[in-house]
Amino acid sequence: MQDNQQAYDRGMTIFSPDGRLYQVEYAREAIKRGTASVGVRTDDGVVLVADRQVRSPLLEADSIEKLHRVDDHVAVASAGHVADARQLVEFARTQAQRHRLRYDEPIDVETLAKEVTDYIQRYTQSGGVRPFGVALVIAGIDPDGTPRLFETDPSGTPYEWTATAVGGDRQTLMGYLEDHYRDDLDLDGGIGLALGALAETHDDDGLDADSLEVTTVDVESGRVRSLDAEEIAPHLAELNLEDDNE
Amino acid sequence: MSKFTDPITGVDAVGDPTAPELGGGAPEFGAQRHDVQAPDRDDAAVNKTGTTTVGITTADGVVVATDRRASLGGRFVSNKSVQKVEQIHPTAVMTLVGSVGGAQSFIRSLRAEADLYEVRHGDPMSIHALSTLAGNFARGGPWFAINPIIAGTDENGSHVYSVDPAGGVMADDYTVTGSGMQLAYGTIEGEYDPGMSLDAARDLAVRAVAAASERDTGSGNGVVVATVTDEGVEIEDFDETDAALTA
Repeated sequence: MQDNQQAYDRGMTIFSPDGRLYQVEYAREAIKRGTASVGVRTDDGVVLVADRQVRSPLLEADSIEKLHRVDDHVAVASAGHVADARQLVEFARTQAQRHRLRYDEPIDVETLAKEVTDYIQRYTQSGGVRPFGVALVIAGIDPDGTPRLFETDPSGTPYEWTATAVGGDRQTLMGYLEDHYRDDLDLDGGIGLALGALAETHDDDGLDADSLEVTTVDVESGRVRSLDAEEIAPHLAELNLEDDNE
Repeated sequence: MSKFTDPITGVDAVGDPTAPELGGGAPEFGAQRHDVQAPDRDDAAVNKTGTTTVGITTADGVVVATDRRASLGGRFVSNKSVQKVEQIHPTAVMTLVGSVGGAQSFIRSLRAEADLYEVRHGDPMSIHALSTLAGNFARGGPWFAINPIIAGTDENGSHVYSVDPAGGVMADDYTVTGSGMQLAYGTIEGEYDPGMSLDAARDLAVRAVAAASERDTGSGNGVVVATVTDEGVEIEDFDETDAALTA
């Protein structure tokens, strides 16, 4: 690292002379170190798939939570610092309930995503704090039945996507999604697209249902549903993406 | 106070769901919600509307009629041309009932909230959401002694809600609040018809206010009529109730 950068990359988030916020950029690096999460929006609903790295056979796989239910109609996937993600998920849950208390109606996904990104932004403009080292993919169904998919990044900018990925191997995943996304996908097709993208990042071995999390929010019920390993396995079998070593 | 603090201001980053975001004495709103009711206030000097306010729904929209009198203790007419119904939303109005100051402040805050909601969400609030918010404010906020009607239209149709001082929110086909309510209800009770036209509902609402104005000392001095349809809000005032009748 060059000496002239030193003053701008410690402690506080302040601009470097060339207009960069190093702390925010470092937070993005932290996200790249995490395993990937993928979100796909279809007309029938939204799909979130997360890859969890079970680093020891002694670890309870279910204790690695990367997908979180925020409200009946909204779920969040994360990549990066899990502990930071939990704070943002709790904030999102609180905002969703606050909206119900205040207006007696479910919050729409865009408003929720912006509440979260506004909160993230405050941590790029305050002394003595560090930015959140996490990217979220926020999936949900609006009260009017529209499926929505948003991404948050450490700068506090919200993005809306038809399909996106956060975390390690993002380039590969985005390349796959851009090549294979079709706007006539149904919900199962969305699950297949997300799993297919993740399989691209597992070169030799395939995917193992036990190390995946799949959550959907479908238009018909408007509710979040998590698939268990027995429900994920048939999707892998159909796509021929199973782990050959099993 | 939630566990989320704004790192810049140090205040709660979630916000009290019952408190106004702006206005209405929001800064002093705090732990003791009843403190703001100012026990040393001279109640005899507080202008009250007394009032008869009527809201009736029809398939084509909502009509609201109010009298125009403000009084002190119901024994002195302190103003003879008060507009007690105000637009607070592109397709909703609210009536002033109770303390004039409380209701005017309440209207300013609800109007700000409805505007903020619309620009943030891209769509106006539903009348149910607006009434829920009003109920939260009446219950937890810094206003006292108000009992408004919220009336409007949205994609779910025409609605009237009464909001009581403790935050009770009740939807109905028609509703009346204020000191002349029993007289107005007596007029409407036998005549309301769910299939009635907007014009017929307007005349019924005006006659209800006229009846209350005859016998309730807190109501009188003409009528203000607000008509809310999907097109928006129209408010007219009349020195004499008869002049407001179409039929």
